[in-house]
Amino acid sequence: MKTTKELSILLSIAVVAAILMNNFSPAGIALVGQWETSHGTVTAKAKNDVVYDDLEIGDTTLAKRFYDGGNALFVDARAREDYEYGHIKGAISLPVNEFDAFIDEFLEFYSLDSPIITYCSGRTCEDSHHLAQLLIYRGYENVSVFIDGFPGWEAEGYPIE
Amino acid sequence: MNKTAAHFIGNSWIEILARWILGFTFIYASYHKILEPAEFARIIYGYDLFPAAIINLSAIIVPFVELTAGIFLILGIFPRSAVLIINAMLVVFVVLLSINLIRGHAFDCGCFAPQLSGNEPSKVFVIARDIVFLLLGMFVFLYNRDRRWCIRPTL
Repeated sequence: MKTTKELSILLSIAVVAAILMNNFSPAGIALVGQWETSHGTVTAKAKNDVVYDDLEIGDTTLAKRFYDGGNALFVDARAREDYEYGHIKGAISLPVNEFDAFIDEFLEFYSLDSPIITYCSGRTCEDSHHLAQLLIYRGYENVSVFIDGFPGWEAEGYPIE
Repeated sequence: MNKTAAHFIGNSWIEILARWILGFTFIYASYHKILEPAEFARIIYGYDLFPAAIINLSAIIVPFVELTAGIFLILGIFPRSAVLIINAMLVVFVVLLSINLIRGHAFDCGCFAPQLSGNEPSKVFVIARDIVFLLLGMFVFLYNRDRRWCIRPTL
């Protein structure tokens, strides 16, 4: 009996503290996240989230159409090693964790109105979204995210290198 | 039981050492998860064992249960109940880790801070470590003499 009471006190304190912290922290998350890959990139939907549905290209054939159109620049957000191991043919590498080191060079080569499509390793990875937000913050006006990423592209047998 | 073993198990200094080790470990383990709940939620998702509806709630609440139980253990507030919660969590962790180890599911254990790839301890090591913590926890739970430096040993 005593133990039950003690447990309730301890757990109540923890739950109240957790909800308050989550409510006031800038990194707080929604009570329910988006964890269905069929609905797009998975995300905990934090207040500082980088995943924006409206940027998503959720259809690999559509991504291929942009690719064949020849205007869009595919940008690989994954780590350098992953890019070197295999990437969408013609894509350039801008690893999200090295963004600050390479963005100035990137800005010199590609104008702010270039159509850019970022990708990473699929719907459970948010690097492509993160990169998209960083590019938009730097002034790029036409950024989309190909959410099936390299695995989705490769599975369709589209050009890789 | 021989005298030395009885002396060891009944030793209040050993009890407080075990209690503090567990307390500090759990407080430390909660720290990064509390600062980055989205990352922790993603790790829970990565275990591929939970329904989508409870992933975020777990990511919000579990770290605070770790933190609160850890603080209670160190301050000696309801130490027996606090360690019961910690033991329950350890049992759950061991079960979850084992299921994913057996089915060969690649994932980040998320025990402390997220691991950089190539830098993570093996799952077997993590399970063994949790079992050692669980033994400490069982000891603290079963200890039945006066505990040292407790603000509120019981209700």
